[in-house]
Amino acid sequence: MVWTRTALTPSLIVIVGFLTVCPVAMLLLGSFSEGLGAFGTFTLEKYIKSYTDPALIEIIVNTIVFMIGSALVATILALFMAYLNTRTNIPFKVLFQIISIVPMMIPHILFAVSWALLLNPSNGLINLLLKQIFNLQHSPFNIYSLPGMILVEGLLDLPVSYLIIAPAMSSFDVSLEESSKVCGSSNLRTLFKITLPVLRPAILASITLVAIRSLESFAVPSALGMPGRIYLLSTHIYRIIATGFAADYGMAAAVGMSALAASVTLILLYRHLTSESDKYVTISSRGYRPALIDLRGAKVPLFIIVALLSFFLIVLPVLVLLYTSLVPYSMVPSLKAFGMMSLKHWLAVLKDPISLLSLKNSLFLGIVGATLGVVLTLFISYTIVKLRTPASGILESLSFLSFSFPGIVIGVGFMWFFVRTPLYATIGSLLIGYIATYLPYGIRPLTSAFVQIHRDLEESSRVCGAGTLYTLRRIIVPLLIPGIVSAWILMATMFVRELSVSVVLSRPGNEVLAVQILRFAEDGLWGKLSALGIMMILVSTTLVVLASAAGAKLTKLRKEG
Amino acid sequence: MEIRIKNLNKNYFSEGKTITALSNVNLTIPANKIFTLLGPSGCGKTTLLRCIVGLEMPDSGEIDIGDEIVWSKDRGIFVPPEKRGLSMVFQTYAIWPHMNVFDNVAYPLQVRNEPKEEIKRKVEETLRFVQLEGFENRPATKLSGGQQQRVALARALAPEPKVILFDEPLSNLDAKLREETRKELRNFLTNLKITAVYVTHDRIEALSLSDAIAVMKAGQIMEIGTPKEIYFGSEQRFVADFVGRTNLIEGKVVSIENDGPLISTAIGTIACQTQTAPPVGSIVTVSIRPEFITVTARDCGKERNSFRGRVESLVFIGEAYEGEIKVGETRLITKIAPTATIKEGDEIGLCVEPDGCSILLR
Repeated sequence: MVWTRTALTPSLIVIVGFLTVCPVAMLLLGSFSEGLGAFGTFTLEKYIKSYTDPALIEIIVNTIVFMIGSALVATILALFMAYLNTRTNIPFKVLFQIISIVPMMIPHILFAVSWALLLNPSNGLINLLLKQIFNLQHSPFNIYSLPGMILVEGLLDLPVSYLIIAPAMSSFDVSLEESSKVCGSSNLRTLFKITLPVLRPAILASITLVAIRSLESFAVPSALGMPGRIYLLSTHIYRIIATGFAADYGMAAAVGMSALAASVTLILLYRHLTSESDKYVTISSRGYRPALIDLRGAKVPLFIIVALLSFFLIVLPVLVLLYTSLVPYSMVPSLKAFGMMSLKHWLAVLKDPISLLSLKNSLFLGIVGATLGVVLTLFISYTIVKLRTPASGILESLSFLSFSFPGIVIGVGFMWFFVRTPLYATIGSLLIGYIATYLPYGIRPLTSAFVQIHRDLEESSRVCGAGTLYTLRRIIVPLLIPGIVSAWILMATMFVRELSVSVVLSRPGNEVLAVQILRFAEDGLWGKLSALGIMMILVSTTLVVLASAAGAKLTKLRKEG
Repeated sequence: MEIRIKNLNKNYFSEGKTITALSNVNLTIPANKIFTLLGPSGCGKTTLLRCIVGLEMPDSGEIDIGDEIVWSKDRGIFVPPEKRGLSMVFQTYAIWPHMNVFDNVAYPLQVRNEPKEEIKRKVEETLRFVQLEGFENRPATKLSGGQQQRVALARALAPEPKVILFDEPLSNLDAKLREETRKELRNFLTNLKITAVYVTHDRIEALSLSDAIAVMKAGQIMEIGTPKEIYFGSEQRFVADFVGRTNLIEGKVVSIENDGPLISTAIGTIACQTQTAPPVGSIVTVSIRPEFITVTARDCGKERNSFRGRVESLVFIGEAYEGEIKVGETRLITKIAPTATIKEGDEIGLCVEPDGCSILLR
């Protein structure tokens, strides 16, 4: 509308275009090049080498089984929980809110490692306990297996799945169910014949999204898969670049291309499904709440299941880490163990220069990265929601493209780029990689915040004599503060725990927390790992608390004038 | 300040169709008057207002405010809204929810970097003017609709603008409050030396508030005049019909007397008192407002414009009866005093003052 604004959209397209297209283009070019040092020398050798590898078939099969398995675990659990929450009279419903939010605060790598601490075959705590009790020769459980990985990944993605299914479950027209009951069907029959089929689009969307996340997942495959020599696409790429003498970034790029293709296909499917489900699920406008099903005798057992699930999801991982960080070596909790507790591992971590550096780096990336990311996504969301030009449509597609980028693949793509710039092995390279990969996490809360700001509020400021920037500062930004705070929190916690981009871009000198934790896991230094992990959770939590407090204070200040 | 609008055009494109919002609009809005743009929704009145304030860019033409050209396609001039020095009251009021009353009103002064004491003084003065004294620290979200409306007005008045624009500012108020606020607004604006441009689709608002009205239809200005001129002397069917209920009777000019033409119609000969009269023999439409038809039990005793008819229906609407009278085959609507002792089916006499009849050309 105003001529100064027309420069905004093209410059944003250039920035976002760089962030999203550059790694993909470099990945593509890299996959046809001879090596990092010989960029641009065309060769098909990398494709031939990686796709004639006989081990690849098994890797692909593993990946598919892992994706489908964890998608089913997460979705079935989410359906179960959502049904209990929205349709039955199960007690303590606040638990469901906690389950849907809190696990997002626990870094995936720590969650995976905590399960390794519990169920690894040599000294997992539960295994040790069971061996002691039943006098077993061998450990009954092995988490370093495909089923173990599927279970852990499924639990990790449960909140995501729940956030898709619960709203759909609570918003569809209850009269569909009621008429089925009037026809004489039992509750259970209604559930399987009516409720689930009507929810099909939401269920499919959940399955697809969890499948994408497990394809992109690196924490679980690296912490639980690699010790058992079970490789998935992501860990296969990691193996190509991080182990052995010659890291082959060309081969990594060639393998990465198929991971990227699969991920982009799935995200397109997901977007299609979510637009379908908008049509499918009928939202009842009459606004009465459905009659809750009385669980009667099943109430207590079902509640115990939910309580156990939340215990596994939230309490147990943190508890195990805390315990392991305090005992000298893996041992079953006992009086003896409690007597031997010390801060040995904590002191060791605090004296370890690399751990301290990674703590410092991650904190810097969390704070600076989230701040830069929020500033950028602020402008992007403004352009998408408020300007609505054809060019802003391009911007929207570009920024959501990065949603489908597997971190490790984008990392490889950026590696090809950074190695030719002075940014290589600096914290700046991580900053750019993080923002590119996690752009949608900022755009989502901010676009919905912008949607809520009526055009008149902005226009009246301009009529009052305020220019674009003044309006942004005095009107739009203050109204956006809640959206900005949640975008900042999302990005900051993502950046503090970031693993999959970092395993590629992190070099000696720019180590970050999650990579350092992975190193400790590879070396079996569980005590140090747990101490550093607890510090990582503390850093994340502190950032969340500070940001929320700052947001609350800012909003309050504005109100008081 | 005077606002001159020359050859303004504006089209919207949506889903492959072109929608004309403004079509060759020429208009001069006089300084220090309340000028209303009246028309049905979609007639382009809000688009015209937004073009004046600078929130919308016309496709071609020129807009001058005072001595300054704020928009000219040919000369490539576009002054952005923040540089035009106007004030506007939005339909939604656009009160910023994160600020209190004081900050909302002080905002345009703060933008201009005025000294703090000066801002405080002006805000207090303006709030007193709109009768919101003592509301300074009230959060904007804790105000009633009428109070929000007055905050919006105070914010528009605080910078002492030469021109203030209103975009249907009363349409979100309930009927009673709307009536009160309308009177207040009229008082506020006549006490200030200010050019006010007011957009509305409500004819009563337009008639009671304005010094001059421009009636718009399909992106064009149909007629401009004082409320009385528009109401009584409109020459166009659309305008006469839009600004109030009226009886439209087709007829033919048979002769021209000293004070106006005589028109032969289906109900008889009607004498009109108008300054300009079409030539003898032209086919015209006579417009008679219901309130100009007097109903009497017997003949009204006058020679001219006296008719007889039968009461078809009587509806009590509070301040009057709305009567439908059948004269021959023509139905006329009238307003009858609520104290009248007329029943449905009565044979009655009707008379019309000649100056209550106007002739529509189109």
